[in-house]
Amino acid sequence: MNNFGHIALAGAWLAALVGVFLGLYSTSKAASEKSGLLTRLVEGASRATIVVFIGIGSATAALIYGFLTNDYTNQYVWQFSNRDMAALYKVTALWGGMDGSMLLWCFMLALVSAVVALTTTAGTRLFGGTLAVANSSSLFFITVVLFLTNPFRAVRASFIPPDGNGLNPLLQNPLMAIHPPMLYAGFTTFSVPFAFCIGALLSNQLDNIWLTLTRRWTLIAWLFLTVGIILGGGWAYVELGWGGFWAWDPVENASFLPWLVGTAYLHSVMVQQRKGMLKTWNVALVALTYGLTVFGTFLTRSGIVQSVHAFASTDVGWVFLVYLGFIFCITAAFLFIRRRELQATARIESFVSRESGFVLNNLIFLSITFATAWGVMFPVFSEWLTGTKQTVGVPFYNAVNVPLFLLLLGLMVVGPMMGWRKSSIQSVGRQLLAPLISALAIGALLIWSGVTSFYALTAYCFAWLIVVSVMLELHRGARALSPSAVAAGYPLVLKRHRERYAGHLVHIGVAVVAVGITASMAHKMEREVTLKPGETVEIGRYRLSLNTIDVEQLKNFERYFAKLDVIEAKTGLKIESLKPELRHYFKNNETTTEVALRTSLRDDLYTVLVGVEDGGKAASFKIYVNPLQIWLWIGGVIMALGTLIIVLTPKNSPVRVRHTV
Amino acid sequence: MNVRFLILVVVFMVGGAAMITQATRSGAAPMMMPSDLVQSKNDFPRVRVAGRVSESKVTYEITPKAILYFSIEDPKHPERGSVPVVYEGVRPDMFASGRDVILDGAFVAGTIQATNLLTQCPSKYEAPDPEKLYKEKHKTEGSSAKLATSV
Repeated sequence: MNNFGHIALAGAWLAALVGVFLGLYSTSKAASEKSGLLTRLVEGASRATIVVFIGIGSATAALIYGFLTNDYTNQYVWQFSNRDMAALYKVTALWGGMDGSMLLWCFMLALVSAVVALTTTAGTRLFGGTLAVANSSSLFFITVVLFLTNPFRAVRASFIPPDGNGLNPLLQNPLMAIHPPMLYAGFTTFSVPFAFCIGALLSNQLDNIWLTLTRRWTLIAWLFLTVGIILGGGWAYVELGWGGFWAWDPVENASFLPWLVGTAYLHSVMVQQRKGMLKTWNVALVALTYGLTVFGTFLTRSGIVQSVHAFASTDVGWVFLVYLGFIFCITAAFLFIRRRELQATARIESFVSRESGFVLNNLIFLSITFATAWGVMFPVFSEWLTGTKQTVGVPFYNAVNVPLFLLLLGLMVVGPMMGWRKSSIQSVGRQLLAPLISALAIGALLIWSGVTSFYALTAYCFAWLIVVSVMLELHRGARALSPSAVAAGYPLVLKRHRERYAGHLVHIGVAVVAVGITASMAHKMEREVTLKPGETVEIGRYRLSLNTIDVEQLKNFERYFAKLDVIEAKTGLKIESLKPELRHYFKNNETTTEVALRTSLRDDLYTVLVGVEDGGKAASFKIYVNPLQIWLWIGGVIMALGTLIIVLTPKNSPVRVRHTV
Repeated sequence: MNVRFLILVVVFMVGGAAMITQATRSGAAPMMMPSDLVQSKNDFPRVRVAGRVSESKVTYEITPKAILYFSIEDPKHPERGSVPVVYEGVRPDMFASGRDVILDGAFVAGTIQATNLLTQCPSKYEAPDPEKLYKEKHKTEGSSAKLATSV
């Protein structure tokens, strides 16, 4: 298997190289003068792209096969699996370590490039340029896998070990099984708009065709990345037992940075498609998004910042930096060379206009990106500049990013209210008046019920405004289309403006996420208590009574269960029983906890068994009540749903906005 | 129009820089190795330490509050000594002697009072050597089973 893997990787590497050359050559003047040559070159590049996929696909399949057949002649298979593991986790072990995860990245990159090769119907220089860039990305990553982090190495022993080392139990969890592939799918799919962008710059086809071709790709990438990030938060919440879902850890931030810029890019291209403006912005944004995906994987693997997620620090870091430098130089060079073609065909005429709203959007997102990157890289910068390594923690990120996100929420309210070209404050004011009054009423209600934090109040009111203003717009549209029977107007409006309202749905999802985050953080309740059976503790609207403490002995570990009866304090009615668990592994004397969680629309009751003492006579718990926590996940689903609707809207459907290509 | 946008961008940059500077100043903590602290006579109100949990005694109290007592040392220079740590909180999953941890807290009178403790995922470790592992295992078990040799 190891030899096969090497050969497959080498073949893919060569094919990628060929793809780069053929693609680049196709954008040259010589190729454009002989149309037969152009077509043949582009076809060649396209075929090379597919061969890359076949090569990487076979290598990946071989490694997965190795896992499933317990092939311990391979060091990676030995290190991350053992015979007793469930088959599902033998497959997910593929991305349990650095080498395999890089191979997974290559696989997804090759996959999206191959799909681009197969589905783009254009034998033009733009296509050739795009394939050149796509293959250059593959070439870089395959180089890293083939020469630096190769999973096809022989096991480091003179015999074939009878059993494997095993995958860390924390990783043997269904959420952990989907979260990395989702994230990688998001990262690698963002290489497509980047490839088209540079392809367009290379072939000097800077009308909007590259945007139209990549719109769906961008949305798909964004969808994967959004879901991947939320799944990561979900996993942390359910598995790690600290009652939270985001720690501003450098590797978490590494996935967040491309998401932020990607979201800005996704919005900013709407201006270019409508008005031919912000072309330079968009080139910079897409290059920055792609660059940040590379930067993210660099952070995770180079060890330059300390993180609980990071793989072992290795020497691969510098290779990524070189590649990043290369991307930066190429993009900057093209921005300069093609500056005339990138000039806007119109100017922003008014401060109060949709266009300027989008520029503000870009600025806010970039500010959050900069602040987060600053926090991540601060240890490195501070060491360069002052000699001591300094770090900043969660308070830093919250202090800077919370106000910026609130600003963003506010923009989500007024942005859609502004017309293109030239709107007026009066016009926005008119649309805003009724929702604003209702928001102030909500705010007053919240203050009366005890919410005092300015940030929380603002978040809730803005979220309310987002939802209400969409509803109002829907209602007005329905009344206009069907004045006599407004109810019949709603489906009409939604059908005619499907994309716009799908976008609104995503914004509503964001508002719901904002409410979930704000409530679960600002109004969180926490209690630490030790109980003997029969004793109770009150937290929030719950009363918890310890029923029994049990222990079960297994081969490698022992399990303690504490059965907690959950009672509604006001009525005295029993709701259910929760059984938080503590596992004590004999081998390393280490413990893991299994959180017992009760979710409801109002709040989450989150219980952790901290320890058992006196041989089972008493148990200690950490208990949280997280209000409205579930709405974070629900909001994520709404965001995904809205995005899916846009992605699945057929291209030739009349409901799509006519773009000026 | 361009002037107004320029002003907007400048406002953003200045405002952002001010927020970042303020937040950094009030929250920055030096990153130190345990060996730096062993030799230090000073107290540090905020510090982040990355190191390895030493093999010495780990105590975990759970009543009335969860408190974890352990010592932390440089993974590369354990001979330079270790620093005692007191962490008020639930023992993190996968915490054990020999594991790498990152903690935030205050260094007072020779002890780190940790407010945040994270254990690093064990899969990040130096790839274990099957040859060594099995030689050790067979030494203790006294097994004479023949093992297949590799191709």
